[in-house]
Formats: sequence, structure tokens, C-alpha cells
Amino acid sequence: MSSLRSVTLLGLACAAAGCGANAANSGSAFNTSWQNDSGRSISALEARLRPLPPAPNAALAVAVADDGLHGLSLDGKAHWFHPGQPKSLPFIAGRLVIDAEGDEIVALDGTTGAKVWSTASRGLALRGAASDGTRSALVLANGEHSLFLGISGSGATLCSIDSKATLGVPAARGGVAFVPWSNQYVSAIELSGGEETARLLTREQVSRAMNYGGAIYFGEKGLIRFDEKIRYASTNQATHIGLPPLALPGKPDFLGSGFVSSSAETNARAKIRIYAAPTTDAAGALTLGGGTFAATYFHVVFGLAAASGKLAWVRALPADIVGGAAASSGFALCDTAGKLRLLDSAGTEVGSQDFGVKVRSCVIDTGTEPVTNGARPSPLSAQIGEALDRLEPDMAEAERYLIAELGKLQDPAVTKTLIDLSSSPRIPPELRSETRRLLALRKTGTEYMLAALARHYDFVSGVLLPPPVGPLADALADSGEERAGPLLAKHLNDPANSADDVAHAARALVKLATLREYEDLRTFFSLYRATADDEALVSAVVASAEALLRVGGEPGRAVVEHAADDPLTQADIRRALPALLSKPSAGTDGKASTGRADGAASSKTATENPGQR
Amino acid sequence: MFTPSGISMRVTLAAISLCVLGSVPAAAAPKPLADKSAAPRPSGDLAAWKKALEGSDEEQALAALDAIEHADDGRAAPLVDSLLSRGASSKVLLRAIAVAGSLGKEPSSAVLAPYVQHRAAEVRRAAAQSLKRTRGDAAVQALRLALRSNDAALRGTAAAGLGALGAKEAVPDLFAVLPRETPEAAGAIGTLCVAAECKKFLGLLGKLPFDVMQSGFLPLLLRTGSDVTDQTKIELIEQLRRLATKSANEVLATALASYPANGSPKVKAALDAALHGHSVGGDE
Repeated sequence: MSSLRSVTLLGLACAAAGCGANAANSGSAFNTSWQNDSGRSISALEARLRPLPPAPNAALAVAVADDGLHGLSLDGKAHWFHPGQPKSLPFIAGRLVIDAEGDEIVALDGTTGAKVWSTASRGLALRGAASDGTRSALVLANGEHSLFLGISGSGATLCSIDSKATLGVPAARGGVAFVPWSNQYVSAIELSGGEETARLLTREQVSRAMNYGGAIYFGEKGLIRFDEKIRYASTNQATHIGLPPLALPGKPDFLGSGFVSSSAETNARAKIRIYAAPTTDAAGALTLGGGTFAATYFHVVFGLAAASGKLAWVRALPADIVGGAAASSGFALCDTAGKLRLLDSAGTEVGSQDFGVKVRSCVIDTGTEPVTNGARPSPLSAQIGEALDRLEPDMAEAERYLIAELGKLQDPAVTKTLIDLSSSPRIPPELRSETRRLLALRKTGTEYMLAALARHYDFVSGVLLPPPVGPLADALADSGEERAGPLLAKHLNDPANSADDVAHAARALVKLATLREYEDLRTFFSLYRATADDEALVSAVVASAEALLRVGGEPGRAVVEHAADDPLTQADIRRALPALLSKPSAGTDGKASTGRADGAASSKTATENPGQR
Repeated sequence: MFTPSGISMRVTLAAISLCVLGSVPAAAAPKPLADKSAAPRPSGDLAAWKKALEGSDEEQALAALDAIEHADDGRAAPLVDSLLSRGASSKVLLRAIAVAGSLGKEPSSAVLAPYVQHRAAEVRRAAAQSLKRTRGDAAVQALRLALRSNDAALRGTAAAGLGALGAKEAVPDLFAVLPRETPEAAGAIGTLCVAAECKKFLGLLGKLPFDVMQSGFLPLLLRTGSDVTDQTKIELIEQLRRLATKSANEVLATALASYPANGSPKVKAALDAALHGHSVGGDE
């Protein structure tokens, strides 16, 4: 006889003695002496329950407000209010809404908000609740012990099991409650009798059972489906879905620990969550709804690819998100302002309702219906730009994540967004540095770069930050974009640019300058060869000398030679010039020679200007 | 070819000697003893000045610049321009910029122009001051560029300079900077505005602080010619009268006291009437 069968028999004996009408503690469930039955008992139970119709979901959102609970059906047909002071986050259990109020656990009709039943909380907090459509399962707990209750449709206690084990959030189907415990077990408890009829042993953390779309799942960080493969769970071969590795702002949990009783109060963790729905695709494989899942970070929602975790879309909403759920495709989210929003799997908002009150926290059961697809959203780069525009300085973690994601995109429009961010006074300095770093690495968006370089600080027209000249210079020099030459040369002599940016521009001009840039280079060199007062400027002057020698022909060489001989030339610059002058290529660049010969205007400038030797 | 005269050479050498000996800092080199207008204008030191300005001795260059300024010899302007074009230490640059301004030769504007964008504030401000004196299109363009700077002092100098140079094309830019830490733009607008621009300026009275606009009132009231109509001036007079503040009355009184002989009698009468508390707007 297997050990589970022994336990079951003990449980049955106990049930006869104490559960059912007498509602006494069965005392046999959650037994820690149970031996692994290699999935036989849970498999048998799965086979028994398989023919049953799916357990219903409610398609309902319930918000906790200062004055009580507010319910909204997702189809907008029902809107109810239940006054009170909820002590726990409510649970949507089938068609019931179950929460803790005062000394009671109260079940409300999810359609009307009317009270269906209540039972004493026995001084314990509500940890979880579930319904199979007829009977309910409750788990109550404090720090020392847990209490499992089977409740009839009228509120009568069918069974009561007190356990020293820490019990998690249950699910229910076909008269059986599934109760996770001890991080690795799920005990199947008969709601009417209290006996443990089967047990699941998993090799991954499990603290929650849930009913989604009529199917039962177990897990915490990933989900195991209760199906014909459930017997293989102890060898990691059950039907499983997990999230890809993520590095999201705030490090959100998927389901969070089911061993902690949830509070009705708002807290930061409620705003940093992952919403993912397990669904079966056309090939019968378990996947996440619509190929995407969502993560929230206060008022930002990230849509992520189910397979890779790559950012697929992003929205910054007006208020912090305090609850939500994933539909089989799309998402329902509610925020502190009392708004319930429906987003499709691409993040487009396709509908909204209003609770009419400020919301502290919220739970949603989306049912099995997908959210209808809305209009095609703008490109991800534009979405990130819009989201960043709406982020406050205290959202730096989200900004950092979005900027990093932006850098991964090859879309030329990303370059424009990075340019805008680099010039935005709203972006914190350290993040602006990051946007500049990413910008310097861009290989696409050259036209945006050139357009940005055409801008200068301009007090008259209100352009109060110069473009990110340094990163643009680096990127354009890497790509050998000669059209950047005149634009970069103009920036040499713009004091609104940082000395560091000017140094990058000068270094880019060593590669990109042509004879057209001679005059700007010469002016810059002359103005600063004896007045450069910091390291970056010194570096810029030396680079401008190199560019002058490359494109300036004899006049350019004369300018540099004079500076090299002049004791008034800044010492570091003067030390660097002889090496440049001794380079064999200096002044013999093909372009320079050709340009000097053909470029009448520049030749005139170089020879007639009294500054030239 | 220029031949240095004995007198000017002596002045130059004296100045150079003082600097070389180090008894007096170059920037504080002794000013010429004789009154500039009374003393015979030294001339012909060009070769020596050229040598000093092209040499490698900062003190000699400073002394030469002092001497050129003292001599007020316009023929030396190209030497100063050449120095500015080559570049020099900050001390020499500042002095050269001032001397170029002092000589006031229009060709110097082209070499002064880049200096309004120098990274050192004192250098660019000095350049703007000198451009006001060297004049010409290059000066106007450089000062218009300076008006776009984030340096408020530079903008102020540029605004005043544009007014002095009669750069009417800069009026829209002057309006743009006027409310933003550039009150000097008011004086330039008062000097340069035409017709609707002047009306726009009047429209700002009451919207901008009085002291921001104040420097524009007198130039506008005292202008002769047809760019500003009598009606516009009388409207301004009435607006100032209605303010009934000490500052506004002082503007009216100063305008009346310094009213040009060829100015409109009608406007003069309005000034007088306003100062006696009478409405001159015709709508009271």
C-alpha cells in the first residue's frame, strides 16, 4: 500500500469523524511523513477531474477604496459597491469575491456585490480563497499556523484542517481544493470531507494554485499545468511555463509568494508586478497569452515578448498601477486614480472604465476572453521616447531600463530619440551620459545626426541646450560621414559646447575635415593655442592642428609651425606640435593639395589673411 | 613702406622697457602722459610695432599695443588684426581687442568677430565692446550672434552695440531677448524700431517691469525722422503719464529738457502737457 493511500485512509477516517457536518479538524492532511508516490495519486485525480467542465472565471475587477469594495465587470455591465473596511486584498474566487472584514471572512456575489455568506476568521488573516463554482476553499493563517476551511455554497463549514505547515493560496475544481505548502507540495483536499486524496511533489517553488481559463496551475516563479502530464512533475517533466530571464526595473515578481497574506493597503510591491496568462497555443503547447506578458513599475507598463523577455512595447500611464491581470491576449490594469484600462497584446488601450473613486489596491480576473486588438501602435522607439517624456526624475530606474532598451534597437528613429534625450534638461545627468554613450555607438540615423549638428545653442529662439556634439562626432567619424565636416567645424567655435564635446569634434575632423573646414579650424586653433586652459581644450587644439596639417596645405602648416615656435603657445600644445609636424603625411594629404590648388576662396583666405605666414 | 619716427619709437621703447623691467605689470602699463588730442600724433613706428607684435615676448607685445593705442595710428590696425588672427595669450588678446576697438577701423571687425564666441567670458565681452567701435556689416553679424549667447553680459553689450550700429534688422531678436535678462535691448529697440515695432514696444509697457523697458523710452521719444510717428510718441507719453510714477515722470521731464530743436512741436507740447498732468491721449 502506498503511503498516500495510507494517508488517504486516515483522512477518510478522520473525515468521517470530524469533517462534513461536524466540521472538525481532519488532522491527516499536510502530513510531512508522506512518501513520494511518483505522481500516481495526482495523476489519478487529474483523470477523475478531466471530464468536468472548466471552473468558471468571473471577468471582474474589484478595487479596494477607502469606503469599501467597488466591483466592475470587464464588459461594463455591472458596477457595484460594498461598503466596509477590507483587511485583506480580496480574492476573486469563481463568481464570488472573498475578503476579510473585521472578524469575518465575507463572500460577495461578483455580479452584484451582495453578501452571499460569511464565516468567522478565527483571528487569522485571509491568505487565499478559491471556488469550484459550488464550494469554496479558504486558507487562513498567522505566523504560527494555517487553517484550511472547506465552505459550502451557503457558508457552512464543510471541513477544517489546522496545520503547523505554512499553507499557500488554493485553487478549487470539482469539489477538490489544491493547497500548496512547504514550497514543494500541493495537497488535493476534498472540500466536503477534508481528506487529502492526492499530493503533487514539484521540483520548483510552489506557493500558489490558480484557476486560469478553467485550468488549474501551480507555482510561484513559473507555472505547472494540472493536466495529463502532471504525474511527471517530480521529475520536471510536467507541462510547464516560465518567464525568460529578466532585468526589469524594481525586479518584479511573477506571482509573488503565496505564503504571505496580502494587505488591502497600497504598497510599492503592488505597483511592481508581472502579469502573465498561461494559455494553450494552436499546437497545444503552453505559452503566455498573446505571446506577451506585462510588467509594471509604478505608472509604467512594459510589454515583453514571452519567449525572450525583449521589450515589445511600453506605456506610461497617468497614475500608478495597483492591480491587474493578463487575459488570454491583452491585459486589464487598474490605477490609483480609479481607472480600469484594457490594453491589447501590443499595448494599445482599447477600452477603459472608471471605478469613480481613488483606488488603494485592486484585483482582476480576466476570464477566458481575449482583449480585442486595437490600432497598430507606433514604433517601439517612439513609444520609449513618449514614455521617457512622461517619467519624473524619481523614475530613474525605469528611465535607465528604457534607455538601455533603446540602445538595442537599430531603427534610425532611435538615433533621434537618443539625440532628444541627450539634449533634454528633464533627463538626470547620469542618464544623459548613458544616452550620449549609446548615441556614440549608433550606426543608423545619420540624417538625424546631421540635422542635430546643424543646431546650436540659441538664446533668441529658445534652444537652451546644445546638441550632443561629442557623441555625434564619434558616431559620424566612425561611419566616415564627410557631410559632418562643416557642421562639426562650426561647433568648434561655439562656446556653448563643452570642452569635451569640442575635443571629440576636433578629433572627428582629423578624419572628416576637407578644405572647406580650413577657416573654422584655423580660427579655433588660433583662438585657443595660447589660451587653452583645460585638458579637453588642449586635446581639441592639438587635434585641430592635426586636421589643419591634413587639409590646410602650406598655409595650414605655416599656422601650426608658428604656434610650435611661439613661446606663448600653451606648453602642452607646444610640446605636441613637433610630433605632428614631423609626420610624413602632414600637409601632403591628397585632398588638401587638390583643394588648395582648386579652392580659390580658401587659398585667398589663407594667403591674404595677415594672420598667415 | 612705413618709416618709424624718432618720437614714436622713443615712446614705444620707453613703454617696452618699463614692461621688460617688470616694474609695472603690462596690463597696467603707464598711460601716455600727454593729452592725446594735444600731443603731436606719433607715426611711423610700424616696423617696430610689427616686430614686437610678431615676436615671442609678451611684454614687448603689450608695450607695442599701448604705444599703438597712444599713437592712435590707424595704419597700425592691420598689425593688431594680424595678431588677433594668429592668436596670443589671454593678456595680449584682451589688450589687442581693446586697441582694435580704439582704432575703430572697420576691417578689424572681421578678425574681432570670432572672439565674441571665445570660451573666456572676458575675451568675448571685450570683443563685443570693440565691435561696437569698429562697425560695419561684420560687426553687426557678430553682435547678432552674440545676442544668442547664454552670457547675459555679452547679450547686453551686443544689444547696446546693435542699437549703436543702427542694425534695424536685429529688432525682432532684440524683442526676443528683452524680457529675458537683457534689459539693454530696450535701449536698442527704442533707437531702432520702426512703426509697428514701436507700437509693439509700447504694448509691453505694463507687461514687463518698468526698469526693463526704461532705457528704450528716451531714445524713442527723442528720435526725429519719419520712422516713428508723432502719434506713437504721444501714445507713449500718455502711457507714461498714466503710470504717474516718479520714474515715469523723470523720463518725461528728461525728454522735454533734452528735446531736439528739430523735433516735432506737437510731441514737445504733449510732453509739456503730460508733465502738467493733462491727458494727451484724447480718450479721457
